[in-house]
Amino acid sequence: MTPALELSSIEGGYEPGLPILRGASLAVAPGEIVALLGPNGAGKSTLVKAAAGLVPIWSGQVFLNGRDITRTPAHRMVQEGLGFVPQTENIFANLSVLENLQLAAALVPKDRRGELSKMFALFPDLERLRKLPAGRLSGGQRQMLAVARALVASPSVLMLDEPSAGLSPKLIGVVFERLQAVREAGVTILLVEQNVKAALAIADRAAVLVEGRERLVGAAADLAQDPRLAGLYLGAGLEAA
Amino acid sequence: MLQLLADGLVVGSVIALGAVGLTLTYSILRFANFGQGEFLTWGAYLAVTALGFVVAVTGGGVMQPIGPFSFGWELLVAMVIAAALTAGLALLVDWLLFQRLRARGAAITLVIASFGAALALRNLLQFLYGTLPEYYTREIQIAIRLVPRDVLGGLRITPDQLLVIGMTGAVVLGLHLLLTRTTLGRAMRATAMNPALARVAGVDVAAVIRATWIIGAALAAVAGVFAGLVGQIRPGLGFELLLPLFAAAILGGIGSVWGAVLGGFIVGLAESFSVPIFGAEYRAATAFLVLIAILLLRPNGLFGEKP
Ligand SMILES: Nc1ncnc2c1ncn2[C@@H]1O[C@H](COP(=O)(O)OP(=O)(O)OP(=O)(O)O)[C@@H](O)[C@H]1O
Ligand SMILES: [Mg+2]
Repeated sequence: MTPALELSSIEGGYEPGLPILRGASLAVAPGEIVALLGPNGAGKSTLVKAAAGLVPIWSGQVFLNGRDITRTPAHRMVQEGLGFVPQTENIFANLSVLENLQLAAALVPKDRRGELSKMFALFPDLERLRKLPAGRLSGGQRQMLAVARALVASPSVLMLDEPSAGLSPKLIGVVFERLQAVREAGVTILLVEQNVKAALAIADRAAVLVEGRERLVGAAADLAQDPRLAGLYLGAGLEAA
Repeated sequence: MLQLLADGLVVGSVIALGAVGLTLTYSILRFANFGQGEFLTWGAYLAVTALGFVVAVTGGGVMQPIGPFSFGWELLVAMVIAAALTAGLALLVDWLLFQRLRARGAAITLVIASFGAALALRNLLQFLYGTLPEYYTREIQIAIRLVPRDVLGGLRITPDQLLVIGMTGAVVLGLHLLLTRTTLGRAMRATAMNPALARVAGVDVAAVIRATWIIGAALAAVAGVFAGLVGQIRPGLGFELLLPLFAAAILGGIGSVWGAVLGGFIVGLAESFSVPIFGAEYRAATAFLVLIAILLLRPNGLFGEKP
């Protein structure tokens, strides 16, 4: 079966001659949740940013449902069906909650435009807060808005960079439960996470990225038991030293 | 007293419109454009040319004033043409200069380049139009007395001046609706906040930048025509307004449209009220006094967000 998202031997980085991604490969099957794990600075954010068109890819390819989108400009990705929720600053703080969603909806063709009422059904808090400037939302509400903003464009694949960052364990539970609902609605998910336990609990499969390459890929349940997982987190520190 | 208020509002209108353009380009392109003043001058002069053209084509060479105003509908058409041409000029300058520097240069490179662009634009204009003052119309207008002389010194204002104030209000309201009610406006605000996220959300940032130049330059052209309508059209028109424009934009909190409008009126009023206090020769310095005073009290301007 054609993967929903396929990253094939990606090399790239922010400045020429300073590679951050060193041949990273990863495939996400339709309807799957795949967790992308790895130590700080491994290049997880860089990899999803590269897939989203925000970081230059020097070699390798990105396929979305079999289509090569490696050189597609970032602003056309939503129309292709690739959604992305960045790690930080992932909402427009100067726009109201409603405007954040209206803008995202208006930027995709009508046939992709999700209904705001459905978003509000999925994230009831946002409806109550719709008039508020998004910058005034709490951390958890922000993450909800960031996810809703991406979902309004009806992506076939959604990449999320650490949606649990800075949230209380209880809120992480809520966010992840919503992600399950999103997946059940047919959206394929690539989830970058530091919170290994929570991520492996909802993911089908997982990959561990170390120094810009995937080092360990497998079923989430297996990885959760795998002693090498902790080793890679520690080992990365030792190798770097 | 009242008379000074009216004069200040007229000058403030011109400054407000120019400063809004300045603040828009600053917040989206992230540099202070010292060429903004020249767009006012170019707008004013292009309207002179367009007016001559429109009058020649339609009226057989004469402009018939409408109602109490000193000018006919031809000037309004000429203003629209001038705004479009000035927008085109801004796009051309961006394409030739700023776009190339944006790809690599730091903000300061762009600022310095805009100084250069301003000089080039001003000299080109002098070369094309000469240095003698121009007028849209030579009709003498009778000022209307709105307030009798024995109430706070009275107030007389020409219909043209009233129109300038009214049209400024309409233009600013229109811009407000554009920024808050349309996808383009929301995309502009989103890009100002976070260009990378805007791209992720599907905003074509290059298109937003073009729209910003078009709007900023068109507003400058309208401001230039207004300045020419209530005064003289001279090659130094925009350059002399540049510092008040910056004072207004900074005063309002750079990046804030309403701040720039309010800042424009504050600077205009301050200039006008300074004349009886310090004398006309110090009028231009007043903008700075106000600026310094406000920045000492509120370093981010009236509506500025904390950096
Ligand atoms: N904008 C940037 N410009 C230059 N280098 C960057 C930039 N962003 C990140 N890097 C570098 O790229 C490397 C990988 O960073 P990245 O953010 O992808 O790691 P990560 O795996 O997401 O880490 P974390 O778990 O801390 O979020 C790091 O060495 C970092 O310093
Ligand atoms: Mg990261």
